[in-house]
Parts: sequence; structure tokens; C-alpha cells
Amino acid sequence: MDFLHSILIKPFADMVAAPDFLMQVLWEGLVSGVLYALIALGFVLIYKSSRIFNFAQGIMVVFAALTLVGLHEKGVHALLAVPLTLLVMLMLAVAIERVVLRPLVNQPDIILFMATIGITLFLIGFGELIFGGENKVMITEQLLIPTGSYTFEPFGGFLLIEQKDLTAVIGAIALVLILLLFLNRSKMGRAIRALGDDHQAALSVGISLSTIWVLVWFIAGVIALATGIVWGARAGVSFALDVIAYKALPVLMLGGLESVTGAIVGGLAIGILEKLFELYWGQPLLGGNTETWFAFVFALVILLFRPQGLFGEKIIERI
Amino acid sequence: MKTFVKTAMLGAALGVGAVLAAPAAYAQDSVYAPNLSYRTGPFAATGIPLMDGQRDYILMLNERDGGVNGVKIDYDECETGYSTEKGVECYEKTKSKAIVTQPWSTGITLQVLPKTNVDKIPILAPGYGFSPMANGKVFQWAYNPPASYWDGASMLLNYVSGGDMASLKGKKIALLHLDHPYGKEPIPLFQAMAEKHGFTFLPVPVGLKEMQNQSAQWLQIRREKPDFVFMWGWGAMNAGALTEAVKTKYPMDQFIGIWWSGHDGDMKTVGEKGKGYKSISWSVPVADAPVMADIKKHVVDAGKSLIGGADDMDTVFYQRGVLISMILVEGIRVAQDHFDTKVVNAEQLRWGLENLKIDDARIAELGMTGMVGPFSTSCSNHTGHSGAWILQWDGGKFAPISDKLTADAEAISALEQVKAMEYAEANAPWPVNEACK
Repeated sequence: MDFLHSILIKPFADMVAAPDFLMQVLWEGLVSGVLYALIALGFVLIYKSSRIFNFAQGIMVVFAALTLVGLHEKGVHALLAVPLTLLVMLMLAVAIERVVLRPLVNQPDIILFMATIGITLFLIGFGELIFGGENKVMITEQLLIPTGSYTFEPFGGFLLIEQKDLTAVIGAIALVLILLLFLNRSKMGRAIRALGDDHQAALSVGISLSTIWVLVWFIAGVIALATGIVWGARAGVSFALDVIAYKALPVLMLGGLESVTGAIVGGLAIGILEKLFELYWGQPLLGGNTETWFAFVFALVILLFRPQGLFGEKIIERI
Repeated sequence: MKTFVKTAMLGAALGVGAVLAAPAAYAQDSVYAPNLSYRTGPFAATGIPLMDGQRDYILMLNERDGGVNGVKIDYDECETGYSTEKGVECYEKTKSKAIVTQPWSTGITLQVLPKTNVDKIPILAPGYGFSPMANGKVFQWAYNPPASYWDGASMLLNYVSGGDMASLKGKKIALLHLDHPYGKEPIPLFQAMAEKHGFTFLPVPVGLKEMQNQSAQWLQIRREKPDFVFMWGWGAMNAGALTEAVKTKYPMDQFIGIWWSGHDGDMKTVGEKGKGYKSISWSVPVADAPVMADIKKHVVDAGKSLIGGADDMDTVFYQRGVLISMILVEGIRVAQDHFDTKVVNAEQLRWGLENLKIDDARIAELGMTGMVGPFSTSCSNHTGHSGAWILQWDGGKFAPISDKLTADAEAISALEQVKAMEYAEANAPWPVNEACK
């Protein structure tokens, strides 16, 4: 009976007893969720246009963040370092398309996936050669990101919202809206979607595969830079940032690999639910650290009912 | 035929190359001391200064003295990225000619521990590894001087209680730890001490993927309101925890890390806001120590070091790396004297490591006064239990703020005995040298 009480009653009683704490948990979950959605978007865009699962998304976050910090350390003004970093990411996109993807056109998906593992290993080695493995401090104030905090006292309690988290949420939402506008309203955006729907048909109407691939890898680079700035501001910039890409995997399972909406909804759902579960069930009942597995279990449960994910396309193949 | 000739020529060339390359590695006037280093991966920020310190001390000895009693130390690194699997591969790759293995991770240490009994290679894990390794009767090939994690845990309790453990009754102490063998290592000691002294012990695990986003862990700390938070963090986890502690407004002077959570590089991410954070440390950086001047002269100024600049020499981790190599070298020196030989083998080094006598006079001779406390090892005591100091971050550097602390030897020794025997039984047949001969 005690066990059932601790699962079914106590967590909700705790939420009601300390609503300020619940609000803090929800806020932290929202911040994490927005960031997961951002990482997942990088995967989705590349998958949509080329059916490649980009294993290198995590290391691109590290590479973009290290380039930004590295340029600033060399004396480049922070606001100039951002476009220069974007230029580096564009060059990287061109190089990946020329050297890795173009020779592998028409190869099975698994070959292209393996190629992105190769890109990951190359970027790890290349990045360590150029930037070293030491932890670097992300530039925030130099990028005009506020670093203070707002404190509120809801229900006589305490709620703290960091300005850089708020900036991250607003920035991520703006980036997602711009991406959605670009994908839905621009000619290039429609070309990306067309390529995602049917390669042969898209090519037959004159859409350039090379140009679109460079474009989506560049957009993934832009997302990587935004993610790198936000996560780097939390705990410094190092190769440890690479592991955050794995947080996007359950988001993709949940939302569907080819759905932008799925990445956003999946990211937010997982971010908020994993925090709620950890704080109200995981820590009191299971000793904590449930965030390492909760999202995967949650996504697997959803997949039992919707194998294509919440927003994924139902694929029917004729045999 | 052409292919055969080409293959034969290539084979011959490789053979000649190997023979030409051999003298450096197999020379009779050198000993091979590999280091299972991690300069890459998520923990690289912690590993790099430590490895740099280890490497530079050995280079300095080779340059200044021609090695140890004329025998050069062939220092070599095998990169593990702090991965247990890669660490075991490195152990296997280096064991044939190594006189020591330096695993650099509690996970790797636990994996190679049974192998070293068979391969007869001493494990040297200064300040890390499996705490019951102190029991030399059970762990005949493993050494973790000058202090174990259980020493660290005991000294932390000693410090926060002001020497009166009864004062901890009713208090709550959280352990923010990496969810990894290293992070879990002090838990048995804390649990035993909590039961004995009546305080509440709360472990707060941090997963590898959560190192940079510890908001859930720090929300738990905010909810539980512990009197003290101890941290067993590594790599990016340290910086992540410090950022969250600042954000949560947890009192910095009640937040204390183990010696691997007191890294100058991690503190840069919080800078002034981290002022007051403490870390227990068995080593103290001494900028003007004579040994550091020698390293600067023979290695850094000569352009042979991998560090970014001379300023890096004053950091806690670099100087600890220097001390770690000193412990190895002293083991070699003691073995050379005892066995009256220059090129010691792994079995002879094992004897050296369990007969270390690092007293104040020897520390002064080494030019390391103030950098480490005196300690000695024996057949039954492979740790030495040197004691440690509390260092505090003043916004720019770590500085000692306490007298030397000592661990509760009685409590630790009893737990070491119990856990060592449990390990031996779980891994039976396990050789135990009860008579210590």
C-alpha cells in the first residue's frame, strides 16, 4: 500500500505542496526540451533531404563552439567571430558534400550513415589538433547574452530564471520559426522538402542535389553553433559536448525522423517529462539519474503504438 | 613474381626499420613506463594537465640526471579517452615490456586488477582506483599512494565536523557523484560513517550524458537542503556542477570536491562566482619549488613540454602529475638500491613501491617541500595514508586554507579488510599473502 501511495499519491501531493518548486522543474524541463528539439532539428533536416542519419551532429556542435571561442581567443571580436564561424561551417558543408557525399550517391543508406561516423572521427581528431582538449569558456557577455537572473516569489516560494536560459529559449524559438518559414515559404526550402519526398522526381525537375546537400549541412551547422553557444554557456566548451547529441535520439524516435514538428514536440515533451519523472519519481524511488534512460523508455512505449513515431511518415513498401 | 618481390622488399624494409627503431625502446639502460593517458574525449580537460605534469617530470629527470641512477625512463602514453575498453587494450598492448601500468581510471583499474596478478605487473594508481587496494596482503600488485578515496571521504567528514564527528549527528550530507565506478567509490565509507555518526547520507548520481546539464541534480539539492555537498566529479562534470551551484545559490563554502574536482581549468568557467569553493587535495601547488624550477629550465624553456605556457605549471593538476611521476621514480630508485641493479623489472619495482619512504627529508631532497605530505608504504599498506589539505578557490587560484587533515585510520582499515576479502572471495581463487612475505 505504501508503495502504491509513493507512486500514485505522494508525487502529486508534493507538486501541490510546493508549487514554486514544480514551476522551477517545469521551467528547467522547458529549457532542456527546447535544446533537445534544437539538436533533433539538425538530424531531421539532413535526414529529410538525404535520408542520411547524421551521426556527426554532436561533433558539429563541438566544432562550431570551439571555432567561435577559438576565433575570439585569437583576438577576433565576438560579433565578427559568429559570421566567421558560420563561414567555417559553410566550408565544412561544402567539403563534406564534395569529399564524402558526392562519391557515395546511390549507395545504400547504411554506407552514408557509416560515412557520417567517419566525419565524426575526423572532426574529433582535427578539432583536437587545432583547439586542444582543454575546457574553454564560452563567450556570453561578448555576444550580448545577458548573464543575470530573475527571481520571483510565486505562492510565497522561490523561482529563479536565468537570463541566458531565457535568451536560449527565445533564440531557439526564433531559429525554429525562421527555419519553418524558410522550409515552407522559400524556393530552396521547398526544394529541400521535395528532395525529401522523392529524390528522382526532384532531380527530374532540375533541383540540384549538390546544392541542397550543401545547404542542409550548412543549416545543420547553424543549428550546431546555436546549440554550442547555449550548452557551452552552461558548463564550458569541450569535447564532452559531443555526448549531448545522444539526448536527441529518443526525441527522434518519439517525433519521427523526418518531421520538423515531431522534433519540436518530441524535444519539449521529453525535456519536461524527464525532469518531472526524475524529481518526483526517479530520485525518491529509484535513487536518481533516471534521465539517462527515461526518454528512451518513454519513446519505446510510444513506438509500441505508433512505430513511425508521433509525427513520422507511415511507410508502406510493396513486396 | 613482381608482387612477391615487392612484398619481400616491403617486409625487409619494415624489419630493418623495426631493428633501427628498437634501441630507443629496448635499450638496456632504460625502463619502459607506459601511461594509459586520456588527452582526448569528454574527460580530456582533466587529463591533459595531469599527463603533462607526469611527462615533464620524467623528461626533466632524463635531461638533468640522465634518468634514475643513469637509467633513462622510457615514458610512453597509450590513449584511452578514459574508456575502460580502450584502457584494457592499452594494458594488453604495453604489458609485455612494461614495468608498471598506470591505468588512470577506476573502471580500468578494476578491469586490469585480476590480470596483474597473472602478468605480475604493478598497478600504480596514485590517489585513485579501488580503495581496498590499500590492503597489500590481498592486492599484492596494486598501489594507490599517497591517499585513497576512502581517506579523502574520511578527511572531508573530519573537516566539516571540525574534528568532532559527533557534531554531524542530525546533519545531511549529499554526495554529487559521477555515475561511474570512480564516483561510486566513496559510497561504502560514507554509508558506514553515516550509520556510525548519525548523519543522513544522500548520494546524487550524475550520468555521463547529464554532466553538462545537472539541473535535475541541483533541484534535488535545493529540495533536500543538505548541510554540505561533497563532489566526486571528473572532467566536464566539475564545471557543470559549479555552474549549477552558482545558479542555485548554494553556499560555495559548504560545497567541497575530492582532489579530482579541484582543477583550475574547471573554475575558469565560473571565475569570481566560484569564490569560496573548496577541494580536498593530497597535493599543494608550490610555484617556487626547486623541482618546478628544474622542470622549467630543462623541459619548458627548452621547448620540450606540451603545456601552453609557464603559467600552466602553477596549477594544481600539473603539479599533481609531477608528484605522481615522483612516486613511480622513487619506487624505481628504491628497487635499484635494494636489488643492486640498474634496470629494474616489474617484480623488482613492485618491491620498490611497497617500500617507499617519502619522509620530509626526502621530500626536501626532491625539491618538493610543501607539495605533498610524508608517507611510507609497506607490504600490508599499499596506500600510505599521507593526509591532505583543503584548498579554496579565491577567484583566481586554489590556495590551502587548512592544516593537514588525517583520515580515521581505524574505521577505514576495518572497511578495507572487509571489502578486500569480499573482493577476493568473489574472484576466487585469488592469491592472498597473509604472512606478507
